[in-house]
Amino acid sequence: MHAISFTALLLSMLAAVGLTATAGMKALKDDFDTVALLEKGQILLTIVVLAVSAVLVQALVVRDFSYIYVRDYTDTFLPLFYAVTAFWAGQNGSFLFWYLCVAVMGWCMIYTPGYSRLDNRTKVFFWILFFLIEIFFLYALTGPSNPFMKLDPVPAEGRGLNPLLQNPGMIFHPPLLFLGYAGYTIPFCLALASRLSGNSREWLELCRNWNIVAWIFLTSGIILGAWWSYMELGWGGYWAWDPVENASLIPWLAGTAFIHTAIVGRTRKSLLRTNVFMVALTFLLCFFATFVVRSGMIDSLHAFGGSRMGIPLLVFMVATLLLTLHVCLVQRKDDSAHIDDFASRPGMLFLASWLFLCMGGIVFLGVLWPVLSSMWSANPVGLDAGFYNKVCLPLFAALAFIMSICPWFSQKSGISDKAALGLVLGAGAGSAVIMFVMGYSQPLALFSAASGFMMIVSIALYFVRNKGARAFLPSLGAYGVHLGVALMVVGVAFSGPYKVEAEAVLTKGQSMTVGSYEVMFHELTHDHDNPAMDTHAALLTVTRGGKTVGSMAPEKRLYRNFEQSTFAEVSVIPSLGEEIYSTLLGFNEEGAVSLKVSVNPLVNWIWIGGTLSCLIAFLCWRKIERR
Amino acid sequence: MSTAKNQKWVYLAAVLLVGAGVGYLLFSGLSQNSVYFLNVSEALAMPAEKLSQARLFGMVAEHDVDHDPSAMGVSFFALDKDEPSKAIRVHYRGAVPDTFKPGVEVILEGSFTADTRVFEATTLLTKCPSKYEKNDKGQMRPPGFAG
Repeated sequence: MHAISFTALLLSMLAAVGLTATAGMKALKDDFDTVALLEKGQILLTIVVLAVSAVLVQALVVRDFSYIYVRDYTDTFLPLFYAVTAFWAGQNGSFLFWYLCVAVMGWCMIYTPGYSRLDNRTKVFFWILFFLIEIFFLYALTGPSNPFMKLDPVPAEGRGLNPLLQNPGMIFHPPLLFLGYAGYTIPFCLALASRLSGNSREWLELCRNWNIVAWIFLTSGIILGAWWSYMELGWGGYWAWDPVENASLIPWLAGTAFIHTAIVGRTRKSLLRTNVFMVALTFLLCFFATFVVRSGMIDSLHAFGGSRMGIPLLVFMVATLLLTLHVCLVQRKDDSAHIDDFASRPGMLFLASWLFLCMGGIVFLGVLWPVLSSMWSANPVGLDAGFYNKVCLPLFAALAFIMSICPWFSQKSGISDKAALGLVLGAGAGSAVIMFVMGYSQPLALFSAASGFMMIVSIALYFVRNKGARAFLPSLGAYGVHLGVALMVVGVAFSGPYKVEAEAVLTKGQSMTVGSYEVMFHELTHDHDNPAMDTHAALLTVTRGGKTVGSMAPEKRLYRNFEQSTFAEVSVIPSLGEEIYSTLLGFNEEGAVSLKVSVNPLVNWIWIGGTLSCLIAFLCWRKIERR
Repeated sequence: MSTAKNQKWVYLAAVLLVGAGVGYLLFSGLSQNSVYFLNVSEALAMPAEKLSQARLFGMVAEHDVDHDPSAMGVSFFALDKDEPSKAIRVHYRGAVPDTFKPGVEVILEGSFTADTRVFEATTLLTKCPSKYEKNDKGQMRPPGFAG
């Protein structure tokens, strides 16, 4: 099956090249009758990739170690569920998964009402661009990133899946990111195709739903990644500004900016070329994210090692960038309207987009700093997490503030509802004073939290005062998403600066103090019945002022196939207020344990707000009439 | 208010304001939070006063590894990966990762003290050689990750 799968991918690449060439040649002669052929081609490509994906899944399920990929990422101890998810655990598999998502989305596109509204000319341009992207993936899968490589002789056992990936949060984090990355392919192709064929406006309306879906996938992927980092890695935080985390944040920032410029584009008929550029930028940054992770160019704490995908990805990105610049800058004809006034809703949306882009630029700069700095410094200079916190958090706070006042500005110019705006600002000031009195006096956190509360008040008030908004689902959706964001803002503003943390070595019966909590160590248990791993757990009870709060059992696990290292499994006492979080750092033969315990205020609101945002965003879907 | 000229000025002012704010943040961030990424030999070649904040890449030496009895710290020599004759004494306080042992590659964050010639590390991370090379999300993690 190795050779058959490989050949199938190779043939589909040749077919895609053939189709693109044919359609391109005919398009040059103003012949756009190739649409039906191109659609059939897309269906064929999708069937092929579905089939070869099934082959890989089957190999993973039966642990066919004659595949290098299966050997590298599974072993016979791995539960079936995790064996299947090893599909996207490694580079080659994740590329196949990404391409699978792109192809299936392309297939779905054929049957959408939005697609039926396109003229033949635009459709042909769309498919040419789409096939070019698919050709890139097929080239990768048949060349530098082939998941069907054969191993001879066949080993009896595989190398196993990294224990850190054996967690529900981690298992859905990568595929969601790839679904998000793949989702931006269609808006990108649609924007460029429309522009190339001379329709500069309708694409914004037609790709709206695709854009929302891609955003939901990307957002939920990032939030799940943060949650995984918090629950699995045991360092007590959820965002470390590591290059690999930043890599997925950059396209998200661009994509979120695009959502906002697209609103201005649709409602005010302005920012037309800006929108084309924004969607292309988002698409491009998805590949940049992969480039950062795969090229080995940036010395991250993650041990990836260099891969052969670096150069092909770079070439692909440069080509896409040149095409985009050509479309946006050279083809200048435009009928874009101007934004009327800065103090208006479009003005605020525009400003918000700029802030998102600024942050994207800053994070981009930060990720590349070690590379850039080597141009003028003998030794590369990198940036620590403090840099991002210092530069990005004030911008996030400013965004939260803009979000809270934006609903009260009119579409054209000026404030539309002065009383409501006054009430919102008053609520903000009031909450700031209350928090200050309660002892939460860190200025940036205070401003952010107050902005978060203002957003909540603002959204509630907006629905009270606007009957129309209550009845209109997309508007409910848009404000609902921002309500989730408000909860996240409040969660971050408290859990970041007001976290209390302590480390201690305890023997049986000893206790430690963390904030206002008393943590007592009872005993160390050992479970060696599980064939896949050996587990030690420290039993702890937590009290506050003599009253029992709960108990925890942080673990240390030794996985059979990863004997060089143990893995910490954190334990928490969940709470909407202060969550107690514990990690077992180590223990010795006498039964003494080394523990890290932290109190994380309001941290769960981040996950609640994030989930809410992602789910409510589906309400923003809008039906497009077929033509 | 909404004449084209007026609008231009409003935009310009806004761009300047945002630009100045972001510029200031960037400048202060870049000047205060940049750290040198250095191998042991490169660190030794640099004047100590420039190393108030650095990320050091090295290998744990076989000899003189002293574990703190409370299991909350370790002192050892970090060797250069390519020139093992060059070494820096490292003091680290905090949770020692389980993967820490002579011969492994480590990434250290901290500062170099000029008079004692000791690198005071606040973060110690180990890099596992073969096993994780190909894994998707690495096991290396920021402060305190012990697994």
